[in-house]
Amino acid sequence: MHNAFIIARKELKSYLNSVSTYIVFVLFLMLSGWFFSNLMFKSGKAELRQLFDVLHLVYIFFIPALTMGMIAKEKADQTFELLATMPIKLKSIVWGKWLAALELLVIILMFTLVHLLTIMIIGENLDYGSILCGYLGLIFVGAVYCAIGIFASALQSNQILAFIIGFVICLFFYAIQFLMPLFPNALANVFQYLSMDYHLENFLKGIIDTRDIIYMGSLVIGFMLLAEFSLRMNNRLQER
Amino acid sequence: MIEVNHLTKKFGVITAVDDISFYIPAGEIVGFLGPNGAGKTTTLRMLVGYLQPSFGTIRISEQDINTDPIGLARQIGYLPEQNPLYADLTVYDYLQFIAALRHMDEQTFRERLEFVLDKCGLRDVIGQPIQTLSKGYKQRTGLAQAILHDPQVLILDEPTSGLDPNQILEIRELIKELGKAKTVILSSHIMQEVQAVCDRIIIINKGKIIADEAKEELGKNLSGSVSLTIELEAENPDFSEWLELHPEVKLKECVPNEGHWKREFSYPAELDLQRDLAQFIASQKWLILSMYKQQHSLEEIFHLLTTESDMNELDKSETKEADNSPTALQIEEANEKEEDDNA
Repeated sequence: MHNAFIIARKELKSYLNSVSTYIVFVLFLMLSGWFFSNLMFKSGKAELRQLFDVLHLVYIFFIPALTMGMIAKEKADQTFELLATMPIKLKSIVWGKWLAALELLVIILMFTLVHLLTIMIIGENLDYGSILCGYLGLIFVGAVYCAIGIFASALQSNQILAFIIGFVICLFFYAIQFLMPLFPNALANVFQYLSMDYHLENFLKGIIDTRDIIYMGSLVIGFMLLAEFSLRMNNRLQER
Repeated sequence: MIEVNHLTKKFGVITAVDDISFYIPAGEIVGFLGPNGAGKTTTLRMLVGYLQPSFGTIRISEQDINTDPIGLARQIGYLPEQNPLYADLTVYDYLQFIAALRHMDEQTFRERLEFVLDKCGLRDVIGQPIQTLSKGYKQRTGLAQAILHDPQVLILDEPTSGLDPNQILEIRELIKELGKAKTVILSSHIMQEVQAVCDRIIIINKGKIIADEAKEELGKNLSGSVSLTIELEAENPDFSEWLELHPEVKLKECVPNEGHWKREFSYPAELDLQRDLAQFIASQKWLILSMYKQQHSLEEIFHLLTTESDMNELDKSETKEADNSPTALQIEEANEKEEDDNA
């Protein structure tokens, strides 16, 4: 675990020193801000529901972009060979990367608190509980997408391909909700359970349900194991 | 210290390393020598656990490398062929990151940092981002990374590539110095390099060990034969008469050039045939323009061994002509294999 933190710290440092991180940050905030102001003034409600829905949509572009280089770049630059031969477990490397991605995500989510400030100034009777819960839900969803992004990045050394793979998998979990009417009734329940939106919805309502946490937790662990597995297989690494 | 038994690595149908075995005692500097694509990098990668062998075992410090890979990784310093550097970090940050991964405490890190900065000559560039460094400094940073934790075993894959001659000398001195107390394995395709640094040379070609001897031994093996080149002015000189008198002599080359003839003879070193040959030429009333004798250098041994590619051929090759340079096809094969290694 300690090793994962070392990897995460270095990764975070590299990302915060790089211009492209800030470009992605700015794009993220511009998109979310534009959607937020548009929707809020149209609906006239003092709540962050629409913002959270928009953030969820922006996630599926933003998170694969954030994570695409995390392992793919190490492989392309051959620095992966260095990490893999250090006295650390492969697990520490992938979890360290995931942790770094999640930290970046939390940093950027903090910038969206400016929208909360707007609501606090112009609105009344805010439900702080559900807002807090909503942020928590967004972090959980982000954790899943980060794991997907890390997995996509572990699959190969081409960052663009890693982005596309990550995007497609994230899109699958995001878009299931719109495909529901197409499924027969018997399958609808299963697919509803798979839909990320269905679980996020509970958080947005202010409900913290263990079923949602288990769903997201198992997706995170599942994709992280897949990432580790694919690294081991592709590179025929020693078991450590 | 390092014991390798029947190590084999296959990439699909290609056998990159083919059943090699060797033992390296502690405190020896061993050079892995071979042309590109011979399997050097693959072997070293298996030693550090970056690749799983297809067959065979590796034991380091009396322990199979799979029993405690993490513990073993602490004892090994490894510089891969493609120097693994984070371009955006400064030299200091990079070394600090490595120290953290190796769980070095603050005090030890300071001490070792001083050591590697001095030894690798990095003091002037410590605050610079690695991407702004020249190739030589990058290589030194990589080396600093490998020796930072004072490892018992040092594995260096082409450590001096990209350095200028002065730096090469410095790095060689450093490797020699480190080799006094540690076991060092370095790979190279440059003959002089291993000749200058290593106690022992393992020549590897097409995944097989074709020679594994102390440096001096390897030299002796082929210094048994010398080649004598003469240039003469004559009309169609015929040496068959003289060659019949000396069956141990082989005529290697025969190049006519506008009335000048260049002949190359190869014979065992213990014979002194210069005088004899000169007398024979004088008796034929030919004119000697030049005559010189050459011992086989390590470079030629390397060439002979890697083109013959078979230890059994070694004896023959001592006296046989050495005209079989690698064919285009062989080089192409070697390159392909190299690419495969890197993939």
